[in-house]
Amino acid sequence: MTAIIEAAGDPDETLRSAQRGDHDAFSRLIDEHEAMVFSIALHFFGDRDRADEIAQDVFVRLYRSLAAIESSSHLVFWLRQVTSRRCIDEKRRFRLRAVPLDEADARAVESPEPDLLLERRLRELVVELPDAQRIAITLRYQEDLDPAEICRILGIPLRTVKSHLYRALQALRKKLGDC
Amino acid sequence: MHLERNLERALHRADPAPGLADRVLKRLEPAPPRQVRARRWQAVAAALVLVVLGGGWVARHEMERRAGERARDQALLALRIAGAKVRFAQEQVRGIGSHTNG
Repeated sequence: MTAIIEAAGDPDETLRSAQRGDHDAFSRLIDEHEAMVFSIALHFFGDRDRADEIAQDVFVRLYRSLAAIESSSHLVFWLRQVTSRRCIDEKRRFRLRAVPLDEADARAVESPEPDLLLERRLRELVVELPDAQRIAITLRYQEDLDPAEICRILGIPLRTVKSHLYRALQALRKKLGDC
Repeated sequence: MHLERNLERALHRADPAPGLADRVLKRLEPAPPRQVRARRWQAVAAALVLVVLGGGWVARHEMERRAGERARDQALLALRIAGAKVRFAQEQVRGIGSHTNG
């Protein structure tokens, strides 16, 4: 029993158990990281169903790549990278029209703060940004990553990341000002 | 307005619908035995259809070969009969000729 509790509490031990083929451990990994993966896709597409599909794809791919994951911190990096690239690839493949959140799903992201309308409007505006700016903004403000970490995840130069963030913020300011 | 602070709040993490791990694990399961059995029966049925079709083709081919042989035998018999009659007629003609010369 103690061993089970320890295994559940230590992310590296959970990862090692999952790598040995323990499905319960893999399930715990999903529980631990699902909000991060799902939210990156949700803020990219503005569509809960599509975000759920993307999250499933990412975790199926993780299962097949478990042997290559070196540590729990590498796992977080890997999940952010694969989810970001998967979102951009999916968008390129299907050329989806951005769906405003109020059309897409009434179960929009819950917020503990009172300014729900502004937050909702901001999420709608983020979904309307160009792909590269959108994923950069999501990683910056959802995952609280600095531009250097974002450039490692997206595999693009630091200067480009900063440019995407700057332009995205400018566009959001302008659109919010126009409202 | 503090845009960046508002973005942090707007883009906070959200939970997916319950059961994401179950949905993922379900996708990782091999095909259920029922499907495997169904596929095996489909393969057997396909093999049977092939055997029946192949057998039919062989039988039809054999029938055509035999009909051909029968037709060839009849044609040969007809030729033999016609040849015998021609020889008989030649002998008759030769007999009449020898009586006339004698």
